[in-house]
Amino acid sequence: MSRAEFSYDFPHRHLVSVADLNPVDIQIIFERAAHYLAANRTPDKRSDVLRGLTVLNLFFEASTRTQGSFEMAGKRLGADVVNFAMANSSASKGESLSDTARTLAAMKPDIMVVRHPATGAPQFLAERTGLSVVNAGDGMHEHPTQALLDSFTLSQRWGEVGGRRILIVGDILHSRVARSNIGLLNILGAEIRLCAPPTLLPSDVDQWGCDVFHDLDEALKGCDAVMALRQQRERMTGGFVPSEREFFHLFGLTHERLEAASPDVLVMHPGPMNRGVEIHTRLADDPERSVILDQVESGVAVRMAILELIGANIRKEAAA
Amino acid sequence: MSTTRAIINARLVDPASGQDGPGGVLIEDGIIAQIGTELDLDAADEVIDARGCILAPALIDLRCAKEPALTPDGETVDTLCASAMSGGFGTIVLAPNTRSPLDKADGFAGMSRGLAQRGVRVLSACGATQALAGEQMAEIGLMVRGGAVYAGCGDRPIADTRLMRRLLSYTSQFDVWLSCRPADASLSADAVALESDWSARVGIPSEPAVSERIAIERDAALAELSGGKLMIDRLSTAAGLDALRHVRGRDLEIAATVAIAHLTLNEVDAGGLDSAFRMDPPLRSEADRQALVEAVISGEIDAVVSDHRPTPYDDKGEPFALAVAGTLSQETLLGAMLGLVHDDEISLLDALRVLTCGPADLLGLPQGRITVGAPADLILIDGDKPWVCQPDGFASARGNSAWSGRRFQGRVLQTIVAGDTLYNP
Repeated sequence: MSRAEFSYDFPHRHLVSVADLNPVDIQIIFERAAHYLAANRTPDKRSDVLRGLTVLNLFFEASTRTQGSFEMAGKRLGADVVNFAMANSSASKGESLSDTARTLAAMKPDIMVVRHPATGAPQFLAERTGLSVVNAGDGMHEHPTQALLDSFTLSQRWGEVGGRRILIVGDILHSRVARSNIGLLNILGAEIRLCAPPTLLPSDVDQWGCDVFHDLDEALKGCDAVMALRQQRERMTGGFVPSEREFFHLFGLTHERLEAASPDVLVMHPGPMNRGVEIHTRLADDPERSVILDQVESGVAVRMAILELIGANIRKEAAA
Repeated sequence: MSTTRAIINARLVDPASGQDGPGGVLIEDGIIAQIGTELDLDAADEVIDARGCILAPALIDLRCAKEPALTPDGETVDTLCASAMSGGFGTIVLAPNTRSPLDKADGFAGMSRGLAQRGVRVLSACGATQALAGEQMAEIGLMVRGGAVYAGCGDRPIADTRLMRRLLSYTSQFDVWLSCRPADASLSADAVALESDWSARVGIPSEPAVSERIAIERDAALAELSGGKLMIDRLSTAAGLDALRHVRGRDLEIAATVAIAHLTLNEVDAGGLDSAFRMDPPLRSEADRQALVEAVISGEIDAVVSDHRPTPYDDKGEPFALAVAGTLSQETLLGAMLGLVHDDEISLLDALRVLTCGPADLLGLPQGRITVGAPADLILIDGDKPWVCQPDGFASARGNSAWSGRRFQGRVLQTIVAGDTLYNP
């Protein structure tokens, strides 16, 4: 299925949830991301497609890689990128998000890239300001660009993600990365497995269209890729597992345990990693298995693709 | 000034006596003097022909809130009373919440006297613990002496089982209800939604429905032990209802209220994460809502409350999980309840029972019924009049309504308290 057959343009002005995307949208994003992935490897990375547009990075939670990745993506496309570190600003002076949103919107940015600790905050900002919003992670809800870059990384290796068996292991309960990945991989037709202790799984996870395991060796059988997730200490109240040591023994990824998986199994991690808790340090650094740095590289390309596609729709609307 | 007024040709609906048929009332000196179709109209100074209208007791709300005095643009007693009148309420009870904990005995009697002069009968409950923190008992005895009609714990459950036992034991000497939110404090900590398919997917902090069951079983056991009167404040789940049925078999005094939101809305309404639907307790599943409607019909629910909660604009100017809980509901309660009647979910008598004689009997009030000798607190309703909820038009000072934009059928035409018409738009 190619775009030309449908003469279909990417229709979105926001990226709030992977559920808004259809398989063709995803294919369009991947095509553009592949273009930028190649371009980013040359000394001539700069393009002008977003010249004149302002991208506002609005991070209400501390972030290094995602914010840096979005900033680099915006700048390489020629946009003016402004970072607002909201964790220590007016929000802590008692201003409501609604007022913050209207204040920032009055500065006439074009795209807001939002990370916020509360579910629904990007949607809320989109509704209150009318600006284009890209969700860079909201609470335990979604992190759509992470899911897109994960699948993009896999598609670069495999061609197709559909039909492959992919395991997500670790703290699924608190993970927006897991929720977005499950949504996206379902759209792409992959077989999804989840593995975690019951305390780190959502209550109705059996209805999410995934196979659920509590035994990692069982879960790993025949998997083409494994994604390890960090325990989200900042979102936890009380203990969900007795110790990191016990977690590593039961759910930590090692070379030995991967014997049960497909011989070409790929190991992924959205970062930041806790070596020796969810993944053995040697495995994380094994270039044969680990695509963790490829994910980071894909991140910039995928975010460039999304900003470009959304920017084009903003221009189209302005022209009309 | 004593006047005699008559209301004739109405459809008289009185849940206390089970009457639903043609009739009217004769009011003398604010008291119902005669009832029926053959009234002695010669003595009447004024005769209201209420053909086509429903005549019912004025509604009674056991749980509403104003905002603290001097809150800029806040809900005052005046605006709250205006809101109550237009919603058809003749009696309202201020319940404690963390903004207004009603926990100070000093001045309580004076406040009660001031509230009594408002036309609408405004009563006040008192906070059961200091600042509603759930740690130290408030001076419940002095406040009951000052007019408090029950002791309430606010939105947070009492986590400390020993304190809960002592509260029930202590309040038993005053013969007042201890009203407590049924939730297990640790299971429900920080929850903004029911633990469900929806809340797990959107990743918001949630509480399992059994939290309510655990709390009801604990508190009922303590009530049985101490002899206290336990009022389950805003029952909201089928699991909690099961527990209520279970403990009612025992020897204890227990009552239960339900908020109008849980009777007419469910978590699907909050599905778009609109902060207007952020409530405490959170909205529940449709199965829970249906179970609560059934319980109202079967008489297991003693009172439906508005849980009217005015909040400043900025409190709802946050995403769902961070927004302050609560909705205005007095002006829409009757419309929402009549919606259930029009949908054939419930009869008009059952719908009105939990809003009139039900709550009146809990507090031992003489109003809430149409009988000779009772105070003439009455409402006239057009049961079919269509209208759209527009918070801008509310008498209330705020606009946070979960029913904003809803279409209703049925509206209050007159609110009469002690024989005087307070509201007649």
